[in-house]
Amino acid sequence: MNVRGTLRASAAYSFYDRFKKLIVALLLIVFLFVLGQAVVSNFLSLGQVLLTIKLASFIALFGLCQMIVIAGGGSGLDLSVGYAATMTAVITAAIMDGKNENLWMAILVALGIGLVVGICNGALAAYVKLPPLVVTLAMSSILQGTINVYTAGRNITGRPSPVLQIIAAKSIGIFPNILFVLLILAPIVMILLSRTRWGLKLFGAGTNETAAYLSGVNVRRVRFVSFLISGVLASLIGLLLLGNMGIAFKDMGSNYVMPSIAAAVVGGVSLTGGDGNYLGVILGAIFLQTLTNLLVALGWGDAGKWLGFGIVLFILLIVYVSNRRSR
Amino acid sequence: MQAPGTAVRGAARRFFSKPEFSTLIILVIMFAITAVLQQNFFETRSIVRNINAFTPLILVTMGQAVVILAGGIDLSAGSALSLFTCVLTTVMRKADPWSGAYALAAAFAVAMAVGIINGIGIGYLRIPPVIVTFATSFMWLGAALFLRPTPGGETVEWFKAFYNVGAIEGVSATLKRFNDVIPPALLLVVIGCLFWAVVSKTRTGRYIYAVGSSNDSAYESGIDTARVQLKACLVNSTFILLAALFFVGQNQSGDARMGDPLTLRAIAAAVVGGIALTGGRGSVYFALVGALILSFVNKIIFFANISSAYQTLVGGAIVIFAIAASQAYTLSNRRAMRAEGRLK
Repeated sequence: MNVRGTLRASAAYSFYDRFKKLIVALLLIVFLFVLGQAVVSNFLSLGQVLLTIKLASFIALFGLCQMIVIAGGGSGLDLSVGYAATMTAVITAAIMDGKNENLWMAILVALGIGLVVGICNGALAAYVKLPPLVVTLAMSSILQGTINVYTAGRNITGRPSPVLQIIAAKSIGIFPNILFVLLILAPIVMILLSRTRWGLKLFGAGTNETAAYLSGVNVRRVRFVSFLISGVLASLIGLLLLGNMGIAFKDMGSNYVMPSIAAAVVGGVSLTGGDGNYLGVILGAIFLQTLTNLLVALGWGDAGKWLGFGIVLFILLIVYVSNRRSR
Repeated sequence: MQAPGTAVRGAARRFFSKPEFSTLIILVIMFAITAVLQQNFFETRSIVRNINAFTPLILVTMGQAVVILAGGIDLSAGSALSLFTCVLTTVMRKADPWSGAYALAAAFAVAMAVGIINGIGIGYLRIPPVIVTFATSFMWLGAALFLRPTPGGETVEWFKAFYNVGAIEGVSATLKRFNDVIPPALLLVVIGCLFWAVVSKTRTGRYIYAVGSSNDSAYESGIDTARVQLKACLVNSTFILLAALFFVGQNQSGDARMGDPLTLRAIAAAVVGGIALTGGRGSVYFALVGALILSFVNKIIFFANISSAYQTLVGGAIVIFAIAASQAYTLSNRRAMRAEGRLK
C-alpha cells in the first residue's frame, strides 16, 4: 500500500462538511452586509464592498500562514507573522528607497528574514516540541525587540519601490490589484495542498500524527517546513504591506495577527489540524473586515473591534471546536 | 537494619536528584549575582523596592501555575489583569471612601466572571485552552478599552494601602512603621500562598493534579474534570485580582494594556519553576521561585547597563531559552529514568 493512498484516505473528509462551512461563512458575510445596510446608510455600495475586499486581502494573506501551520496539527499557530512582516517592511524600506532596481535586493532580504524566523519557530516547535503558541509569541517579542533596537536613535527611512506600490495599493479600474494577487495565489495554494505529495503529508500529519508516522511520513520535518513556509510568506507579505502603506512604521503588522487566526477559524479550518480550505479563509477575512467596518461605522472604535473579534472567535470555537463529553 | 547515616545520605541524594533542587540552585546563584551588583541590596529600602517590583509577576505566575497544573494554560491573564485595574478605577470616586468597597465588589464579580468564562471554555466545552484563552484575551482587552480608552482614572485614598500604607494621609505612626518592615506587597504574596495552601489541601487540590496528569483517566475515575478545571480558573482569577489590587494601589490608575507583557513572562516563570506545560507535574510554590528567578534576571539585565531598547529583545530571548532549556532538561531526565527502568 503506498503512502499517498493511505494519506488520501486518512485526510479525506466529507465533501459536504467542507461545503457547509463555506456556506456558513458566506451567510455570515451576507448577514453582516444586510445588517450594516439596515443600520448605517450606504453600507452596501459597490465601492464599499471592493474596499472591504481590498482591506480583507491582507488578513487573508496572513491567514494563509496560519492555515498552513494549523493544518500540520500539533496545535500549531504562528503569532510571529505580524512582527516578521513589520521587520521586513522596516528594513526593506531603507534598502529600496523608492527605486525599482533595488527590489530584487529587498526580496532577497525578505526571504532571509523569513527563513531565519521560520527556522527558529520550526526547530523549537517541531523538534524541541514546545507549544507553538508559546514559541511564536516569544519569537514575536524578540522580533519586536529587534525592531526597537534597529529604530532606536534613528528614523525609519525609505519608501517601497513603485512596482510594489502598484501591486499593493493601486487599482485597475475599480478592482484593487491586491485582489489579483489573491486570485492567483488561491488556486496555487489549493493545488499545492490537495494535489501534491507534501500537501497530503501535511494534512496527514494533522489528521492523525501516529497514522502518518507509521505510514512513513516524517511528521517533525513536515511541521518544521510548515513553519518555514509561514515565516517566509509573512516576510513577503511585509513587502506588500509596505507597498500598500507607502511607509514603514513600528507596529504596522501586529494588528493582523489576531484577525488572521480568527479568519482561519471562521473559514472552517479545524484547529486540531488536518483540514482547511483556503477559500474559507478568504471568506473569513472578508467577514472580519466587514465586522470591523460595521463596528467602526457604529462608532464603537477599537474597543468594539477587539470585543467583537473576541466574542465572534469564542462563539465559533464553541460551534466548530468544542468537544463536549456526552453523558 | 540501615545505619542512620546511610538513610540521611539516601534522603539527601533523593533531594539532589529532584528537578526542584536545580531550580533552587539557580535561585541562589541569581540572588548572589544581584546582591553583588546592587550595592545597597540588603538595605530595608531596596528590599522593599525589590519586593514591590517582583510581586505582580509572582502573583500572576502562581495563578498561571494552577491552571497549567490542571491541564490548561491562560493566555488571557495579562489582559484580565488590565481589565480588573480598569474596573477598579472606573467604579472608584476619590471623594467617596465607600466607593472603594463597591469597586472591590465589582472587581471580584468581574474576576469570577472571567474565571467562569475561561473555565467553561477549557473545562466544559473542551476547546484547546491555548486558543480559547487567546480568544477571551481579546474580549477582556475590548471590555477594558470600553471602560478606559486611555490610561487614567481615580482611586480612594485608602486604596494606597495595597502598595504603601505610609503614603495614606493621616495614618498612624505605628502602621507606618509596620509598613516599613512588612510591605503590603509581601502580605499579598503571603495571602496568595495561604490561599493556595488551603485550596491544595482540599479535594479540589488533589483533583487538579489528577485532571492535569490525565483528563480521561480522571474522568473515568469519577472526577468531574470540567468542574475541577473551572475551579482552577477561578483560583487563577483570584491571584490575578490580587495583582490588580497591588497595581491600582501603586499607580492609582487603570490601563487597558498594562498587563500584556506579564502573560508570557508568567508562563515562562512557571516553566522555569518546574511546572510541566503538559500539566499535572510541578509545584505552585516552585512556580513562585521561578518568578523570583526571572525577576532577578531582569534586575541583572538592568545592572548590566543594557539600553532599554534591548529589553524586549533580551526578555523574549530569555523566555525562549528558559522554556527550551527546561523542556530539554525534563526530556533528558525522563529518558534517563526510563533507561533505569523507573518510568515506563
